[in-house]
Amino acid sequence: MWLRRLTTDRLLRAGSPAPADAHAGGSGFAPSDTPLVVVAPVKGALRLAAVNDAADGLGLKPGMALADARAMYPRIAVADADPEADRRLLLAIADGCDRYTPLVGLDPPDGLILDIAGCAHLFGGEESLRRDLVARLVRQGFQARAAVADTVGCAWAVARYGDDNVVRGRATRSPPPPELGFTRVRHIEWSKSETSDFDRGKDRVGGGGKFGIHDYPPPHPSPARGEGADRVRGLFCVPSDQTVDALLPLPLAALRIAPETVTELAQVGLKRIADAIDRPRAPLAARFGEAFVRRLDQALGLEDEPITPRLPVPAYVTERRFAEPIAREADVLGTIEHLARALVKLMERRGEGARLIETALFRTDGKVHRIAAGTGAPLRDAARIRALFVERLAAVGDECDPGFGYDVIRLGALATQRCDPAQTGLAGGDHAEELAHLIDRLGARFGLRRVTRLVPQDTHIPEYAVAEVAAATCRNITTNTSLALRRLAPHGPLPLQGGGTGWGSPRQPPTVTPSPLTVTPSPTLPLSGGGGRPPVLRERDSFIEQDSLSPTRPIRLFDRPEPVEATAAVPDGPPVQFTWRRVRYVVAHAEGPERIAMEWWRDDQGNALTRDYFRVESREGVRVWLFRQGLFTDGAPTSWFLHGVFA
Amino acid sequence: MASAASRGALRHLRQALATLDKDKGFSLVEEDILPLGLPAVDAALGGGLACAALHELAPAAPAQFGTAAGFALAIAALRTATGRAALFIQTDFAALEAGTPYGLGLDGFGLPMERLILLRVPRPVDALWACEEALKSRGVAVVIAELPQAGAAADFTATRRLTLAARAGGGLALLLRHRPLPIATAATTRWQVAAAPSTPDRFGGLGRTTFDLSLNRNRRGHSGRFIVSWDHHACAFLPQTLSLGVAAAADDGPIAPRRLARAG
Repeated sequence: MWLRRLTTDRLLRAGSPAPADAHAGGSGFAPSDTPLVVVAPVKGALRLAAVNDAADGLGLKPGMALADARAMYPRIAVADADPEADRRLLLAIADGCDRYTPLVGLDPPDGLILDIAGCAHLFGGEESLRRDLVARLVRQGFQARAAVADTVGCAWAVARYGDDNVVRGRATRSPPPPELGFTRVRHIEWSKSETSDFDRGKDRVGGGGKFGIHDYPPPHPSPARGEGADRVRGLFCVPSDQTVDALLPLPLAALRIAPETVTELAQVGLKRIADAIDRPRAPLAARFGEAFVRRLDQALGLEDEPITPRLPVPAYVTERRFAEPIAREADVLGTIEHLARALVKLMERRGEGARLIETALFRTDGKVHRIAAGTGAPLRDAARIRALFVERLAAVGDECDPGFGYDVIRLGALATQRCDPAQTGLAGGDHAEELAHLIDRLGARFGLRRVTRLVPQDTHIPEYAVAEVAAATCRNITTNTSLALRRLAPHGPLPLQGGGTGWGSPRQPPTVTPSPLTVTPSPTLPLSGGGGRPPVLRERDSFIEQDSLSPTRPIRLFDRPEPVEATAAVPDGPPVQFTWRRVRYVVAHAEGPERIAMEWWRDDQGNALTRDYFRVESREGVRVWLFRQGLFTDGAPTSWFLHGVFA
Repeated sequence: MASAASRGALRHLRQALATLDKDKGFSLVEEDILPLGLPAVDAALGGGLACAALHELAPAAPAQFGTAAGFALAIAALRTATGRAALFIQTDFAALEAGTPYGLGLDGFGLPMERLILLRVPRPVDALWACEEALKSRGVAVVIAELPQAGAAADFTATRRLTLAARAGGGLALLLRHRPLPIATAATTRWQVAAAPSTPDRFGGLGRTTFDLSLNRNRRGHSGRFIVSWDHHACAFLPQTLSLGVAAAADDGPIAPRRLARAG
């Protein structure tokens, strides 16, 4: 598909003058029959990058200098080029084209390639699909031309050059032929059979490209049109057996080759594809480059040319089209559930479940809302898929404006995973499954990253010792592996009367320096009484040795330790009082210090990040975890922080 | 205390009444209750904390949210002893103000961290919504929702909704406020939790975690004030005693070298 005047159409659609004042004196762009040119700086000079039909009719061509154009027509409207906006517009149009096929490739700067193999019959054949596509774009103010052909190259060529006016080039400047019915439309393009093989191949190996609701027959070649293929004019659906005939009269520029190559070919008298098609390939390649020959072969279908889809093609897709657009949320959700049932059936057949599901809501005006919902475990339950999208729609809220309604709704499973059917208990409620679903729903509402589980890490730095991991990604780990991992942890279980523990196994560097008040068991000096008995492994193992009547780690930790004012009786002793959040606390009992130092292998900056932690209880009973930053040095002020609170 | 026979008759009658009252949405069937293991408290609560119900906790002093959270987590530890999961919902602001649950500390406190799922939500109403959904889903045994400040979003209507959701799903709902809310709510019990000085061990170190619980509102019995300790080793509440707490003696070998092994 070729959007002939993408840039100027964009400006005309926007309807307001772009920042063109510098060039054009601020006159707004009026209707499309006003000459409009878009300029971009090229080598220091402003040159025309795009022109509209009216300007084209005046003889202005892309590549001219703006000064020349101004000299010819002082009153033309000028706008600055904005390639980024053009690209965004092309992406939006590609979004809209997703309604015809999931395989939409970009052909920048102004083309799209759609693989309609197996999709065309859903729209009443290739020609009516093409007309529908073009009409839809014309309604929105684009000049589009589309062509359907067996190969990408052929479709590209026919869409851009399949018209006598263009073939003859600059001699005629009449508007496109009226018998096409859409005069502003120049071109859209479209390939058919090479990718249909690709698609069928995928189907055979059980991959993607399965359309669920529509039980589609294998792609068939379109019946040859009655009007003779010798005349390419006005024929934008090239039948399968006429690819070569369609290409023959076209200029060599239609082969997507560099303009310099076209010039070189013209110099030796090769102007049309017909001139080059029967020549021996080797001399052509030697003289004009491999690219030329490859393009020629691709256009003829002798060489394969895959389309790169813009979006990942879902493994399973179901969709529903409406004669009248729907806009109510309840209708949308009802449709989603209906589609989900079909999707589930498809997945069941292959023993898979969805991990990532996407709903695409195609608005009548071409805008597409895509809403994805991830799950923690493969999901194969229509009611739950619906429940996920209830949350997603609520979370998306007003961003998803139905406008005049949606006329296509598509549900696709973007990521799937093997999912064996599980035996459900007769006694009803399965807590684990309920929990998985709850996590999915909460994640759909608030974002999967906000639903977390705590996973221990192999470090002693308190704030890094526990990581919050998205619950959807670590369910299996926490239920089964975590305990096993913990039991492997060298410093894991320490029942008081149990056997040896240790800070110092090979993978556990000595990060905690025992301070004078701390007696830390070491693996080389087994505790007396600990010999001979293996450590008792209980379900509730703690990483931290519990050698006190109170817990040794706080139940709540502040992300950033809060500075407190504290005074200690002796410089490196426990505090006797501290002030936290403007309240003064007198310390009744204190335990510590527990010195936690920077892990040695990371201490390359030379900054001694040593903290002496104290567990402190105030007279009222408030228990907090304080630390003194750094080692005590004479004369330097000591800074105290509160890192967490105990129960 | 009723005899076994009369208890059976009572249950039968309650079930009969429940079938009559089914459409009214509440039941008189003997409920799932969670005994706290404290005779005085359990007596006040009618045997224990009602599980399919909402309970409100608030710290008695502003800085004691750790204590209130501790009591909630202790209840959660008792309730999830079978291995089911607990959900802790926090608003972003509450997390900033009062800190986030710390896995290692929870492990040490008696609630293994793999039983806990954390949810951080932007607004208090989101926390209430998530709490209601979680209670209905039966996936989690305990839901703790923490709201910053007085948690004014959890007014009578909201707490009523949570109560109904808890009743429907059988989950234990604990609403944790940072300040007591002065208006009436639909919660089954309302507690004010204050930190109490612990009984130090004989070395002068910290003793067992001690709570000063004020049961301010109780739909099923009288209110009261209790001072209780939490034994994180045994994962059980203990009534506060006047005797000194002592560390358990090692059951094999001399204890002398361990005596000094204190608090790292």
